[in-house]
Amino acid sequence: MIEDMFNNTYVLQKALDASWTKNKVISNNIANVDTPGYKRQKVEFESYLAQAVDNKALKGTTTNEKHIPVGVGSINRIKIDVKEDNSTTMRLDGNNIDIDSEMSDLAKNNIMYNVLTEKISGAFRNLRTAINEGRK
Amino acid sequence: MSFFNSLDISASGLTAQRLRMDLISQNIANANTTKTEDGTPYRRKVLVFQQKSGDRPFSEYLSDASKATVGVGGVRVLKVADDQTPLKRTYDPSNPDADKDGYVSMPNVDVTTEMINMISASRSYEANISALNATKSMAMKALEIGR
Repeated sequence: MIEDMFNNTYVLQKALDASWTKNKVISNNIANVDTPGYKRQKVEFESYLAQAVDNKALKGTTTNEKHIPVGVGSINRIKIDVKEDNSTTMRLDGNNIDIDSEMSDLAKNNIMYNVLTEKISGAFRNLRTAINEGRK
Repeated sequence: MSFFNSLDISASGLTAQRLRMDLISQNIANANTTKTEDGTPYRRKVLVFQQKSGDRPFSEYLSDASKATVGVGGVRVLKVADDQTPLKRTYDPSNPDADKDGYVSMPNVDVTTEMINMISASRSYEANISALNATKSMAMKALEIGR
């Protein structure tokens, strides 16, 4: 029971990490907007998460904590990858940063981060309510 | 996940754009300088930017050794180079620097280009400021978790 208590926040925590990495990568893209030959970087997380959620593959049961989980999607094993986007060309100097899309991504990500912190706070509020038996 | 790394990235962008701005001012100020310290006409200065790969802690190498290492460390100025395009030759026999045919080598600075670059630098600076502020507000928001 006690491990399950924070299960929800583990997912959110991972998403917060991903969002922070995304912010870092977007900042890096913006800082390198005038660097010749620089290729845009992006964060791969959502697709990995979706993959883990959809995973209908055979699952192994673990009866001992030393067992290696098979097919069981532990949230800690979902990767947050930084990848280079070589697919587009924007300018003659080989740089493919579109500053407008970076700025909008930055704003989007910022709002996403706020949503996630709000959700985590909410989860903790719920726990606190349960601990206090509904009293304030 | 280093917390202040994000701020450093934006700060490196700010530094680079500020230096670019300084060089543009230098170019415009010397648009008519026919004699530098070594006696040659002034040549336009240009910056060479380079991506900086981030310092990754050893633990990160261990945990994801197979991951392609993509550096996230901001930008740095590789060097300040001279623009090697030919100098402008103008006919001005009264100039003490004129050669025997009366031509003077003027700096290869085009003020219009410098002005355009100046706008570009100032916009990039603003973009970096926005990124910095976004990082800051996210960090402050994270401190509110559990309030």
